[in-house]
Amino acid sequence: MLGRLSISIVAFGSVALAFSGPTLSGEDVTSSAIQDPAPRQQTDIVVTMLNAGSNTKVGIPDFLTGGGSPALQAAAKAMADVLEYDLNFEREFVVVSRAASASIPAAATPEALPFQRWAEIGADYVLLGTVREAGDRMPVDVRMVSVKGATAGQSAGFTYDGCAVANPRYCAHFIADDLHEKIRKVQGVARTRLAFTSDRDATQMPGRVPGAGNQGKELYISDYDGFNQQRLTANRNLNLMPKWGPDPRTLAYTSYVTGFQEIYITQLDGRPPLRPAGGNSDIHNMLPAVSPDGSKVAFASTRSTNNGHWDIWVVDLVGKNFQNLTPNTPNSTESAPTWSPSGLQLAFTSDRTGSNQIWVMNADGTGARKISAESRADRPSWSPLNYIAYTAETSAGHDIAVFDITTSVTKILTDGIGSNEGPAVAPNGRHVVFATSRWGNNQIAIVDYPDRGQIRRITQTGANMYPSWSPSPRPSGAK
Amino acid sequence: MRRFFISLLTVAVATSLACSKPKTPGPASTGPQPFPASAIPRPADVPVPPPPIPPEPVITSGGDITSGSADSRSIAEINKNSPLKPAFFAYDSDTLDDSARKSLNENAQVLKSNATWIITIEGHCDERGTAEYNLALADRRALAAKSYLVSLGIGADRLKTVSYGKEFPFDTGHDEDSWLQNRRAHFTLTAK
Repeated sequence: MLGRLSISIVAFGSVALAFSGPTLSGEDVTSSAIQDPAPRQQTDIVVTMLNAGSNTKVGIPDFLTGGGSPALQAAAKAMADVLEYDLNFEREFVVVSRAASASIPAAATPEALPFQRWAEIGADYVLLGTVREAGDRMPVDVRMVSVKGATAGQSAGFTYDGCAVANPRYCAHFIADDLHEKIRKVQGVARTRLAFTSDRDATQMPGRVPGAGNQGKELYISDYDGFNQQRLTANRNLNLMPKWGPDPRTLAYTSYVTGFQEIYITQLDGRPPLRPAGGNSDIHNMLPAVSPDGSKVAFASTRSTNNGHWDIWVVDLVGKNFQNLTPNTPNSTESAPTWSPSGLQLAFTSDRTGSNQIWVMNADGTGARKISAESRADRPSWSPLNYIAYTAETSAGHDIAVFDITTSVTKILTDGIGSNEGPAVAPNGRHVVFATSRWGNNQIAIVDYPDRGQIRRITQTGANMYPSWSPSPRPSGAK
Repeated sequence: MRRFFISLLTVAVATSLACSKPKTPGPASTGPQPFPASAIPRPADVPVPPPPIPPEPVITSGGDITSGSADSRSIAEINKNSPLKPAFFAYDSDTLDDSARKSLNENAQVLKSNATWIITIEGHCDERGTAEYNLALADRRALAAKSYLVSLGIGADRLKTVSYGKEFPFDTGHDEDSWLQNRRAHFTLTAK
């Protein structure tokens, strides 16, 4: 670990790691463009931060611009605010509220920081950002400065050359992921996205009687923090239950554009989506989940039965090699498949015991076993942290439950306020997004695993349902 | 007269197809800014072209050209005040009770009197239970209604099914009176 650090953290010097990214697009940062710095000596500050518990306290003053255009100053302000949110979100650092530190005078250099003032409001370190304008580029220098004890004044820093004035939020998200990885060895989720269904732009569905309840629901995508919400579909029909594939450009979902429920997979590239299951008004398909290797999709289908009972099927993305994974339970409904991270197993729902419960089976359909014991359960999501989140029916509605695969212990993650449904686990397993009625209309919210933490509201407008959490773009720049 | 009607119908179909292409979506109202253009290229607006909206027959002065159908109203008008009755279900059940069968018996007579009608049987659920579970349950409700109609002699090819789960409540209340309205197989006329 330290060996890796010795080349990735630079201290005491003005020479910092130079990344080619982040870029405006946010997805074109290539780790191959990292320039290796000359070997540097390990510093006390880095060792201290690495060895600290998860409660290192960090202050974030306004980023310095040295004047600059109004756009640059606005970008600098936005980045400090976004970093505050991002660092708070992952809870690896305790962020001293920017509101609380607003009165502390700015300093142009690490040495000029009023250490005492920062220490007084509880900071161990100050994250000192400096931005410059270079055309439409905005190189950002970020420096962690110790403000306490014998190491006060020491700093470790990084430079992000690829930031763009036009997209400060993405730049800050990139920096947050990078700091989490470099300093805390944690994979952050600041650059991930959420997909969900909303009726906010409800339009009358063609061919149906006008009135409430006959309006379309479209898919939306937003940043993980709820910013940049954008509509993905516009077909004035029902578009439900999006689920990201193994990369952040693959999104599977259920849509009714042909008049019945069918599964689609879009590559978010402007081309028509794939429709691998080829259903019709007799064969219904729903709830697709693309496998971790991207080769096939699991989904629920009525294609094997004529009695309305569903089975879990898999098919490759071009619609070949259909396989029924649950052929031996023709009189029960199997649905809502989710892959284990390895792709070797699936979790799904089945009512074969008389009530809907969560089951796990091997990817070839063998070895099915029940893992839930609720009055009813639904919508499993398999976490890389070796648990399965699902919707558990409670006396008051629903709550999000987590089943620990190692210990077989189940806990309720949400707090019983409102009804909480449809969990989807973050790519690092440390957060779960879900839909909740606690604020009236259903809204998208995030809860932390394993200790709940602060429940964060993501959506505000309309009724919002069926969230899914995208995978990370790629490691944030480390080799 | 019939040829004139068909040509009008053709125009109506072409018009409805031309009009069915949805508009490009604007940015969501709450988003401060859209995705960078190169981050997510503008996705397809529509997964597949939406199905053509069933053409509304042209009502001529004669009003009797809709052969095979005893009802001369347009599909939209019929669906607004439909002779087809919903079949209601008990909580978490897809079993037809006597009341549901009575409605379906009457619907079978309507379908026999309107031999060209093709209908869609929509399965619906009340708001209790998870959305995913209700999609499967409502599908079974629709299929139960279809199977019974087939047993009464209605051709299966005239009966399409779809499950809307709890997505389209008929009554948006949160008590048993509302839930009762929402646990149903609902019949819509798709073509005539």
